[in-house]
Amino acid sequence: MCGIAGVISLGDIAERLVQCIHNLEYRGYDSCGVAMVNGSPHIHVRKNIGAVAEVSEKERFSSLAGHTGIAHTRWATHGKVTRENAHPHSSCAADFSVTHNGIISNHERLRARLTRDGHKFLSETDTEVIVHLVEDYFMKSMSVEKAFVAAIRELEGTYAVAMISSHEPDRIFCVRKESPLIIGLGTDANYVASDFNAFVDHTKKAVFIEDGEYAVVAHDSHSIKSIATGEAVCREVLELPWDSEMAQKGGFPHYMLKEIYEQPTVVNSALDIDEAKIENLARLTVEKNLVLTGVGTTFYITQFAQYMFSIYGGATPLALSSDEFRHLARMNKDSLVLAVSQSGETYDTLTALRVAKNQRASTAAIVNVMGSSMARTVDSLILQGSGPEICVLSTKAALSQMIILTRVALEAGVLRGTITRKEANARIKDLRAIPDAIERTLNEKSGFIHTIAKAQSHINHWLFLGRERYYPVARESALKMKEVSYVHAEGMPSGFLKHGTIALIDEKMNSVVFMPPKEQKELYDLSMSSVEEIRARGGYILGIMLEEKGKPPGVFSDVITLPKAPSFVAPYLQMVAAQLLSYFTAVTLKRNIDRPRSLAKSVTVA
Amino acid sequence: MKALVLAGGRGNSMAPFSHSRPNPMIPVAGRCLIDHTIEALRNTGVTIVNLVVGHKQEALRAHLANGDNSDVTIHLVDQGKAKGIGGAVLASRSQFLPGEHFLLVYADTLAGANIFSVTLQSFGMSNGPTAAICLTQSAEKYGNVYIGADMRITKMVEKPKKAGLGNYVLAGVFALPTTFFDHLEKAAGNMEKALMKLIAEKSLRAAIWEDAWLDMAYPWDILTANKMIMDRWSVASIHRGVELHNTIIRGPVKICEGAQISPGVVLEGPAYIGVGSFVGHNTLIRPYTCVGAGCVVGHGSELKNSVIFDDSVIGGLCFIGDSVVGQGTNIGSGTMTINRPLDGKKIQAAIGRTVINTGLEKLGAFVGDGAKVGASNILAPGSMVAAADIIPHNISYPRRGGR
Repeated sequence: MCGIAGVISLGDIAERLVQCIHNLEYRGYDSCGVAMVNGSPHIHVRKNIGAVAEVSEKERFSSLAGHTGIAHTRWATHGKVTRENAHPHSSCAADFSVTHNGIISNHERLRARLTRDGHKFLSETDTEVIVHLVEDYFMKSMSVEKAFVAAIRELEGTYAVAMISSHEPDRIFCVRKESPLIIGLGTDANYVASDFNAFVDHTKKAVFIEDGEYAVVAHDSHSIKSIATGEAVCREVLELPWDSEMAQKGGFPHYMLKEIYEQPTVVNSALDIDEAKIENLARLTVEKNLVLTGVGTTFYITQFAQYMFSIYGGATPLALSSDEFRHLARMNKDSLVLAVSQSGETYDTLTALRVAKNQRASTAAIVNVMGSSMARTVDSLILQGSGPEICVLSTKAALSQMIILTRVALEAGVLRGTITRKEANARIKDLRAIPDAIERTLNEKSGFIHTIAKAQSHINHWLFLGRERYYPVARESALKMKEVSYVHAEGMPSGFLKHGTIALIDEKMNSVVFMPPKEQKELYDLSMSSVEEIRARGGYILGIMLEEKGKPPGVFSDVITLPKAPSFVAPYLQMVAAQLLSYFTAVTLKRNIDRPRSLAKSVTVA
Repeated sequence: MKALVLAGGRGNSMAPFSHSRPNPMIPVAGRCLIDHTIEALRNTGVTIVNLVVGHKQEALRAHLANGDNSDVTIHLVDQGKAKGIGGAVLASRSQFLPGEHFLLVYADTLAGANIFSVTLQSFGMSNGPTAAICLTQSAEKYGNVYIGADMRITKMVEKPKKAGLGNYVLAGVFALPTTFFDHLEKAAGNMEKALMKLIAEKSLRAAIWEDAWLDMAYPWDILTANKMIMDRWSVASIHRGVELHNTIIRGPVKICEGAQISPGVVLEGPAYIGVGSFVGHNTLIRPYTCVGAGCVVGHGSELKNSVIFDDSVIGGLCFIGDSVVGQGTNIGSGTMTINRPLDGKKIQAAIGRTVINTGLEKLGAFVGDGAKVGASNILAPGSMVAAADIIPHNISYPRRGGR
């Protein structure tokens, strides 16, 4: 996802343009740029890698003169994060410049043809073909509008495009197909943008462009025409109430819920990561002494991975919290430190990697943000491709890390010979059932979980209990509860109960038990005995379990039954259910969900 | 933008209050439900409200003719013999121009804050049909909707309880283009079918509503609605003509013009005393009590979490708790409502011949319009007194037929 914007006025617009893409940064923020027409035959382009504020200062965006301009903020999915790949892109003669959001699926064919005709490409992006294509048609018709339409007709895929040209300095040309683009009508300027947020501070009047239409926007007028017939289209001007925060959240009330709902897609991305990459990392974990590290949520994810490596991978790696890493680590050249971090900038984890390097260990990382410090410094890297995670609490990125580490552990098992290739494939197939099962959990169980969260929202103390791989899930889920709802929750192994904790149980102390599936009989029975112990002391107890044959045991006060799925995926679904429990508790208690007090997204300090 | 508000339904489950008025005319927190809706629409920037009326429309017409609805033009559309929600929507078709959009609102729903602006905003993000959705305690009553990460509604299940589902339901607020009328016509006026068609085309978008939401279906929902609105009050307001002597006021209490508050009255807010009402000596008005206009509350009575419609008389030394008293009723002195069964079970109430578990642990009585309850009666939890019914005085001496 990327954000595009354009502003056209009679006076200088650079600052407004920068503000527009700043407002779109939630759509992506790894590189950005602006292009401006200002009387010269060449369009001026300034762009670089980094977030808008940073690049704008470095490249002095605001000092660009001109009253017609376009801008872009990027979140790379394909193609590296480099200055060349940043938008806007210009034609050979620098008389056209475009920004684009979407994917041009026939770009390779077009690029080959245009290269043959003498066009010089500077980037690896699909976007660049658009601008060369327009330039090509312009040579024939000498009309910017005709060239623009002719070029669009050749494009396949999805796109929202804004274009400026020095041949028509008082116009912005734009078009969309399945990617968002709207026109904003201000008093002294008009706007085009991926959404309302870009220009909400200047106007609330907007006009929508539909698929199959293009628009030509001037500072005081706009026209929308059909691509097929060229006929003008009459479109209602809407004036809407607008809360730019809510719009950035795609209409969801909070980023947290949005990101929870993105998990089916994110799991698929994690499962689609190239097998060769997983195998390389798995080989390293087998050849070396593996140490997993992360902090906060990612530490619990590494603990989960520890169980997966132990159960399927044939060896039990160390899992160290990265803030304590230097106090515990005794590494050597045979060690492999595998770090997990959403931002790739976590101070404690970066420090752990530095300590590891100083002790001559190899390093690897699973990171979500491309181009981050960790991504640049480790010997071996897997990018999650989970998309930007804005909520301070990690939900989708954490689930993705669990999936990736499970894949690595299974592969390690195959390499060590502890499990067969066939078994590993069967487990991978189980994982493929997760996206659908999450969708069903979200869409069929939210109401029940909401009701439970509301009814129990007066409780200030919770125990989150689990055994085996369900234990790290319990710890991570307890952390979510603490972070977002400010309610005290402790994650611990159920086995700890009788060694002290059970003394706490009364009607003011609730428990959640992450139940294993019945086929793990011994584990199931052990977990049930913990439940009985709590029940006997009059404590409220919530069970989170898969739907299985027979009724859920009556001893629970409440049960969240997850949709039928292979038993292997139970912990992943339980984590999603627990996310919703924390979320709805926080909603009921009216907490600041996306920015909990005292917390920051990427902890870059000691 | 224009709105289309459906206010013509019969609301049979709202007995004994539905026979003389449409649901939107039920008073909560001092004003009719429809007034709260129109105010919220006005705050969203709606300037034209097309109000579809039907059942007992005279009451609604008279009320709107007298009311102050500046900034908003209200067109009344008689739904005539049109059936169901779809029929009511189609009846108003001529009020809209092709290419327009409108807010469709079911007038018997109530939201804790402005649900309309949230719906319109979500609509603005896609420029396509949008439906507000919310999570409710009683998901079995409504269609269960499925949503994707892009907020599109992907599926709707009509009998969710059977399927063991509990999820978001339609909240009775939509932003729709006028092309929806065509969809509805093709579906023979069946609203659900028309929506299903939109869902099948992947063109119905959701707006998630997380604040309080209520479907006014049963008489006890009046108390919830009253509380929802009163919970928004933060200040007390007492008309300057009202004289207070030795009165204790706590919290946001609203006392209107011409009200007479006798000495020794205790008012615990949020509470409301309507225009020209009389409250007798030493009466205790507890939180979430709404006394309508022109009422009389006799000496030494106690009112708690109750809604009293206009022009009713409550005699001295009564206890009215968790109850609703209709318009023009007369409750004799010493009458008690019992609001809590001794066994602590959830209270059941009968609507017509159907007995419904209210899910409530405290609930008093529901007295229909114009009913007369004689002195010293004791009304059971969840009891329903039909409109215009007469319950004789509960006389213990002389005994009937002798001494």
